[in-house]
Amino acid sequence: MALKKLSVPEEAVIRKDFHDIWDSKMARSTLITVSLMLVIAIPVIFLIIIVNTPANQINGADKLMKMLPPSAQNFNLKQATFYIMTNSLFPMFFLMIPLMSSSVTAACSFVGEREHGTLETLLLTPMKPKQLFGAKVKGCVMLSAVITAISFAAFAIVTSVGDILLHLPFFFSWSWLVLILLFAPAVTVLGVMFMVLASAKSKSYVEAVQTSGYIVIPLILLFLGEFVGLFALNAVVFLIISAVIIVLDVIIGEIAARSFRMEKLLK
Amino acid sequence: MGEPAIHADCLSKTYNGAVTALRGLSFDVVQGEVFGFLGPNGAGKTTTVKLLNGLLKPSSGSCSVMGLSPSIHSSEIHKICGVMTESAKMYGNMTGMENLEFFARMYGVEPGKAKARAESLLKCMDLWDARGRELHAYSTGMAQRLSLARALINDPKVLLLDEPTNGLDPESANAVNSMIASLACKEGVTVFLCTHQLRYAQDICRRYGIIEKGTLLACGDLETLARNAQFCPKAAMRLPDGEQLENFERGNDGWWRADIKEDDDMPRLLKKLVEEGHHVYEARIVRPSIEDIYFRYVQINRGEEWH
Repeated sequence: MALKKLSVPEEAVIRKDFHDIWDSKMARSTLITVSLMLVIAIPVIFLIIIVNTPANQINGADKLMKMLPPSAQNFNLKQATFYIMTNSLFPMFFLMIPLMSSSVTAACSFVGEREHGTLETLLLTPMKPKQLFGAKVKGCVMLSAVITAISFAAFAIVTSVGDILLHLPFFFSWSWLVLILLFAPAVTVLGVMFMVLASAKSKSYVEAVQTSGYIVIPLILLFLGEFVGLFALNAVVFLIISAVIIVLDVIIGEIAARSFRMEKLLK
Repeated sequence: MGEPAIHADCLSKTYNGAVTALRGLSFDVVQGEVFGFLGPNGAGKTTTVKLLNGLLKPSSGSCSVMGLSPSIHSSEIHKICGVMTESAKMYGNMTGMENLEFFARMYGVEPGKAKARAESLLKCMDLWDARGRELHAYSTGMAQRLSLARALINDPKVLLLDEPTNGLDPESANAVNSMIASLACKEGVTVFLCTHQLRYAQDICRRYGIIEKGTLLACGDLETLARNAQFCPKAAMRLPDGEQLENFERGNDGWWRADIKEDDDMPRLLKKLVEEGHHVYEARIVRPSIEDIYFRYVQINRGEEWH
C-alpha cells in the first residue's frame, strides 16, 4: 500500500533494497535472531525463572519493592519482579530492535552499494542524489518499522502470558504507548541517519554494523540510570527524550543528506 | 560541422588540489558521430566521462552535453545519456533480466514496458539464454554486454562509453563495435568512445581525440591528424623477386615503399616505374593507421625522436 504512493524509481530502489537485505545471509540472520532473542527468548527465560523460583529466593527483594510506583505497592514479590522487568528492562530490549534493524538495513542499503560498486550506476540514472537518499531512507525506515511492529506483537503476547500467569493487569501503559508511537520511530530514523554518516567512513557492511554499536551505548546508559535509581523513567520522560531524538534526527538527517553528494560518494 | 552534442572548453580537473587529472581540454563532438577518445590507462579518459555525465565537477573550464551543463543539469543529462564505465557495476545477486528491468524502472519506465525493453536488449546483446542467470555467474564478456545493454535502456541520444570492449573476446568485441556503429549510423546516437584498443577504434570512429597524462595532444579526423603529425601516405609496390627500386624501402612483407606527398603522385609514379621497365604486380597507397598516428603524437609529446 505504502509503496503505491512512491514514484516508479523510488519504488524500484526500495524493492531492490528489500531484495538485497533478504538476500544477505548476515543481515537476514541478524534481523531475525536478535529480534527473537530480545522479544521472545529473554522475556520467556525471565518469566520461567520468576514463575519457578520460590519468592524467598529472589535476591534484592527490598530494592525491587522500592522501585515500584505507588499504584503497584500491593504486588507480591513475583508480581513486582515481572512488573519491573516489563516496565524497566524490557523497554530497553525492545528499543534495541528498531535501532538494530535500522542500522543493519541502512548498512546493507548504503554501505552495500558502495561495497559492490553499484552506487555509481545508481547515480548515473535520472534520480537525483537527494531523491535516491530519500528513497533509501524510506525503505530502511519502512522495513525497520515492520520488524519493530512484528517484534512488539510477539513481545505483547509473551508479556500478556506472563501477566495472566502472575495475575497482573495488562502491561500496556502510557509509557509503552509513547515508546511505540514516538520513541521507537525516532530511534529508527536515528539508526538510519547514523549509519548513513558512518557509511562514508566504512569500507564494508561488517565494519558499518560494528560502528553502529556505539549508538546503543546511550540507550543502555539511560536504562542503567533508572536501574541504579538515578532517575525514574515514565511516559513524560520518554516523551521528552523522544522529542530530543526527533530534533537530533532532523539535524543528523540534514547533515547526512548534504553529505550524500555525487563527488563525495564516489571518493 | 553540425551542432556539437558534446562540448568541452578548457576543461580541467584536479583531485584534492594535488593530483591533476585533466589540463584544459577543449573539443567538440558532433551529433551522430562516433568520437574515439584514445589514450593509455590513467590518461584521464574516465575522468572526462565522469565530468561529462556530472558525477564529477570540473576544477576549471566547462563542458556541455546536448547543450546542458552536467554540473547543473546532471539529472536531465542522465535521461538522454547512456553511460558505461568499468566502475559502474550492476547487481551480482540479480539476474540479467532483473538488472535491466530494475534500471529501466530507474528511468521511470512502467513495469510492463521495462520488461519489454529489457527483453529486446537481452536478445540484441545475445544474452537471451542467460537472462535467468544471476550476474555473478556471467563471464566478463557477458557482464560487459549487459552493462552496454544497461547503458542503452533509456534509448539514449548520447552514449559515453569507457572501454566497452575491454575483456571481450575478438568476436564479442566485433559484435559490440558493430552495434555502436549501427547506433550512430542508423539512429543518430552520438558516441564518445574511450578506448586504448586502437584497432577497434579505427573501425568505427569518424574523429579522434588523443590524450596523454591529462593533456589533449590532438583532435580531428584521421586525415587531419596524419597531416598535422607530418605523416605522408606511402606508395607501396609489389615486384617480382630480385627486382629492385631506387629510393624505395623494402619491407619484411616483400613490398617496396616510398613516401608520396599526395594521392595524385601515385599514378605519375606508377607510370614512371612501368616506363622504366619494372614489372609492377600490385600497387596501392598505404595510409597511416590510427595506431601509427597515435604513437607519433605520443612520441612527439614525450620529446622522443621518431623515424
